[in-house]
Amino acid sequence: MAQPSDKGIVGKPVPRPKRPPGTQAFVPEILKGMKVTMEHFFRNAKEVALAQRPDPVLESLDEGITTVSYPEQKRPYPERFRGLHRLTLREDGSPRCVACLCCSTACPAQCIHIVAAEYPEGDARRGYERFPDQFVIDELRCIFCGFCVEACPCDAIRMDTGQHAAPYDSRDQFIYKKDLLMAATGRDGSRETENPRHEPGDPTHPGVDREQGH
Amino acid sequence: MDGYFFLFTGLKILVVVLFVVNTAAILTWGERRQSAMIQDRVGPNRAVIYLPGWLLKLLSLAVGFALAAAAAQYAWLARKRPDPVRIDAWFGLTELGILLAWVGLVVLRRQARRKGEAHGIGGALARIGDARTIFYGGLATHVVVALARALAGDSEAGAVGGLFQVGSAVAVLLLAAAGVLGFSRVPSGKVGVRLGGMLHALADGAKMAFKEDFVPANADRMLHALGPIIALFPAFVVFAVVPFGDTLCIHVNHTGHFFTDLFMARIGEISNAGYSPVVPRYGICAEGAVPLQVANLNVGILYVFAITGTGIIGAAIAGWSSDNKFSLLGGLRASSQMVSYEVAMGLSLVGAFMTYNSVRLDDMVRWQSEHAWGIFVQPFAFVLFLAASIAENKRVPFDAPEGESEIVAGYYLEYSGMKFGMFMLGEYMELAISSAILVTIFFGGYALPFLHRDGITFAIGETVYYHLKMAHVAVILLGVAAFFAKTWLVCWAQLFIRWTVPRFRYDQIMKLGWRFLLPSALVNMLVTAMILLGIGQGGPSLSAVLDVLGDLTQALVLLAGIAGILGFISALLAPPREHKRVVSSSATFADAQGGTKATPMQA
Repeated sequence: MAQPSDKGIVGKPVPRPKRPPGTQAFVPEILKGMKVTMEHFFRNAKEVALAQRPDPVLESLDEGITTVSYPEQKRPYPERFRGLHRLTLREDGSPRCVACLCCSTACPAQCIHIVAAEYPEGDARRGYERFPDQFVIDELRCIFCGFCVEACPCDAIRMDTGQHAAPYDSRDQFIYKKDLLMAATGRDGSRETENPRHEPGDPTHPGVDREQGH
Repeated sequence: MDGYFFLFTGLKILVVVLFVVNTAAILTWGERRQSAMIQDRVGPNRAVIYLPGWLLKLLSLAVGFALAAAAAQYAWLARKRPDPVRIDAWFGLTELGILLAWVGLVVLRRQARRKGEAHGIGGALARIGDARTIFYGGLATHVVVALARALAGDSEAGAVGGLFQVGSAVAVLLLAAAGVLGFSRVPSGKVGVRLGGMLHALADGAKMAFKEDFVPANADRMLHALGPIIALFPAFVVFAVVPFGDTLCIHVNHTGHFFTDLFMARIGEISNAGYSPVVPRYGICAEGAVPLQVANLNVGILYVFAITGTGIIGAAIAGWSSDNKFSLLGGLRASSQMVSYEVAMGLSLVGAFMTYNSVRLDDMVRWQSEHAWGIFVQPFAFVLFLAASIAENKRVPFDAPEGESEIVAGYYLEYSGMKFGMFMLGEYMELAISSAILVTIFFGGYALPFLHRDGITFAIGETVYYHLKMAHVAVILLGVAAFFAKTWLVCWAQLFIRWTVPRFRYDQIMKLGWRFLLPSALVNMLVTAMILLGIGQGGPSLSAVLDVLGDLTQALVLLAGIAGILGFISALLAPPREHKRVVSSSATFADAQGGTKATPMQA
């Protein structure tokens, strides 16, 4: 244990702040402060009254009021923004999804629930692929990591709707079912994707199925 | 003491109460919106009422045509009046026409610029680089027309009279055109009306009335309910002694029919020579004097001190009855602060009383109207009184009783709902009242420079340069409007202090009150007394010099007022500042989509 010093406690001397009479009188300092606040007030009040505010997105780092007046104004999301999911469609309007369960397996939040079903007897796709009888995403549980999109081998699930989750008033409204997911469009307004789909019977189809292939 | 006395007193009370309560409501909005503008925020403006566009279109058309019709009728009736009156009427309409013309040009130029017009009249307007050139042109035209009126003489107007006739016709057309312009500019869908965010304050007030009224379990229920009432009470009654206008001379015939007499009443002076709408500058009304002041007490300002002092009982009771240590501390702080600053506040005004030779507020205004405004006579007392009155109102920087960083909300910590609303309303009403008293004592009350009871008399010392007789009713109305406008201006300035200055520590408040304000007020009193003694010994030549100085200060106020208005308009019309364009990822993306739109961009 350290012995107490003989000299007692010695601190570093800190100079007192200078207080010239102008500062002490307080009134000139208040006037100086009011000049600053008034400059801001008049500039911003004029820009708001005459609609000369800086553009909240294009000039967002400028001085003045750059608040986005949501929901009249909205900040555009970047091109690759991950929004709510959608299920992409084939040309005939059925989902591209083949119910392989890759997405629900990859999902770290376990928010995707799929019930797979077989195509009926006689369908060209029966025995070759399945389809989702139910496809449910709990958007409240989703962490928007995008792993499901990465995992999908068919480009069937996408997060390019550009929509964020809306503020609903009950939890069950966040449960997005197959119909809703299929109804959502991408930012370009389309329900399909640019990637071509090769159906069995198409000349481009590689011809791989359970009977004749691997 | 007849029926008219009660009628007029009732009307005065109504005016005063409506003014104070509405000012308080507007101040709650003003303070929040002003603080937002200071801090580069938009502020609360979400509350909105949607009106159908066709309604606003019709309204604009109706107002424009109604005003045009009124102006046309006025010009038509003036045709048969005697010469100076007729020419003055047409002169006034011509000036109105010029005002409408340059304002309209500014609006049209802005519209043309928005649309990017390049050809025709719109293109020519859009090519004007600076809107201020239009304003300066309009101002020059105003002055030229006024000079033409001055040179034309009163009886033989000649060509100038004809010119004014044409100008009146143009004014009528422009009023109608303004209605049509408004009609074309209102969008046809539904239009959101926000009143600059004032509806937000209204919605907040409505919310407050419906909120839960929580009373702590161990609180003294009776005192807890009494606190806000006691705090609100003085705010309502203090305004009684503040004159909001000059004494009104109204002549009522007493034939026994109350309402018939009232509607036949004449404002002005009735003497042996007959009825005259203009009253003399000095002296009181021959009969039927109605002072525009609810109670003309001979104790005047002392009543204000006495009543505002009781407001603190509300804060103390609220702090005590809430059963909360922070509340109690707040109540104690409020009490001690009030007691300390009451002394300095009273003493700081003694110099003003000695100068005005009265404690009656109406006498003070009359003295300032004849001599010089209080701010020039007692500048030091103004600073002292301002500081003391802010401390009395417990406003920043003297808001230690509420100090939210130390004692949460002070004495109204345990209040919610409308009881809290009453504290808040009371605080803003006190702000309005302290501004009204500052205006009355230091800014000439309802007086305007060179405007007296008989009209405008521009005189420096004994020399009269210009004199214009004005009807009594116009003088009174101008005075009332001036008083209310000045009060709002001072309120606005007081809000700035709140958003500029940080809070004092509690010991600093006490030191400032007892060690600075109180001695300074005493010194101010002493110095004023010595100067007044000196002036008393000085004789007539000194008082003549002082009269000239007083008139010069009035001229200074006039010039400052005109410069302020012109500067305000030219600052409004100044070209907008160049904005810095930045390249962020969302800005680049928005740019690729054709810039930020007011439609759903997040897509």
